[in-house]
Amino acid sequence: MLRASSEALDSEVDLEQLEAGADVTHGELLVRYAESAVRQDSDLGKVRSGLEAQVGPGGVIEAAATVAAFEGLNRIADATGIQLDSGLADESADFRMLLGLDAYAGAASTEVAGVPTRAADVMGIFR
Amino acid sequence: MTLTEPETYIELGAPLTDTHDSVWQRLGQCGTWWSGKERVAAMAEVRQAFCCALCIERLEALSPMMIRGEHDSVSDLPREAVDLIHRLATDPGRLSKEWALLVIESIGEEPYVELATLVCVQYVIDSFARSLGLPLRELPEPQPGEPDRVRPEGVGDVGAWVSQTVEKSLANVSRAASLVPATEDLWRELVQAHYSRGPQFADLVWDRALSRPQVELLASTVSALNECFY
Repeated sequence: MLRASSEALDSEVDLEQLEAGADVTHGELLVRYAESAVRQDSDLGKVRSGLEAQVGPGGVIEAAATVAAFEGLNRIADATGIQLDSGLADESADFRMLLGLDAYAGAASTEVAGVPTRAADVMGIFR
Repeated sequence: MTLTEPETYIELGAPLTDTHDSVWQRLGQCGTWWSGKERVAAMAEVRQAFCCALCIERLEALSPMMIRGEHDSVSDLPREAVDLIHRLATDPGRLSKEWALLVIESIGEEPYVELATLVCVQYVIDSFARSLGLPLRELPEPQPGEPDRVRPEGVGDVGAWVSQTVEKSLANVSRAASLVPATEDLWRELVQAHYSRGPQFADLVWDRALSRPQVELLASTVSALNECFY
């Protein structure tokens, strides 16, 4: 979804540089915030202030909402052992190996590796 | 320095916190497979997991299964239920099918899914508060009632560890909790408010405080930190 949504804005992301922000606007700050929030680091307040200076309080609330949503989404996926949707397997086939995602424990739940193919739209990814 | 005081986030994020208010109280209601008292006890276990000595030791171990012991529990829930709650809260990326099937064998498939969903719902609301420096909510009052233990129709094996609705109309993650529709409603309501927002999900360009690539970068980072394959 990161790649597809960036392309929709005629910009490119560098998936290999996820930790550095992947070339997304304020990406490095957003990554630092997500890391600090998930790990509950002692510098979370400071990181949040730094992010707010760039994206405003509304942006911080959106960021917190997203971090929280994916803390839950990751857990429901891991607890129920769902497989990748076939469209998602295809969409991610070209970078899962590159980023080491296939080494995650949850990879064992998915039987089909997928064929590198790009979906036409969002719903195609989750077909 | 804090630019915005955490309390101000509550006012600015009112639509979201209104959803939290509503969902939070319903977490304390009687479920389909667990009573209100048991559900609130499970919520107490979610918070307890972060200071559980066994969970902390397991987090540092190469494999969590190498470390045996008892969780520092604060409830009378079955031992396997406590293990599910603590592990899902603290170390979700290293759950295994073998482990899940043992828990399911002990407490049942539907109670497993209801408990897991409840943990996830609570985790979203607690995580939101922590991420903004807000105090955690007090646990809801348990509501009376007896679980009716009715398994929904139209569920079956779709290749996951647990039964789900066999009709695939959306992403697999969106039917993960379909074995327990009443608790799934809370889950869906929360995810819609936090992230997907109905038909907006299909749009690659969002008109929100953050752009969609910014939101998806956050999502990817959290998923990588949790080592979530999906």
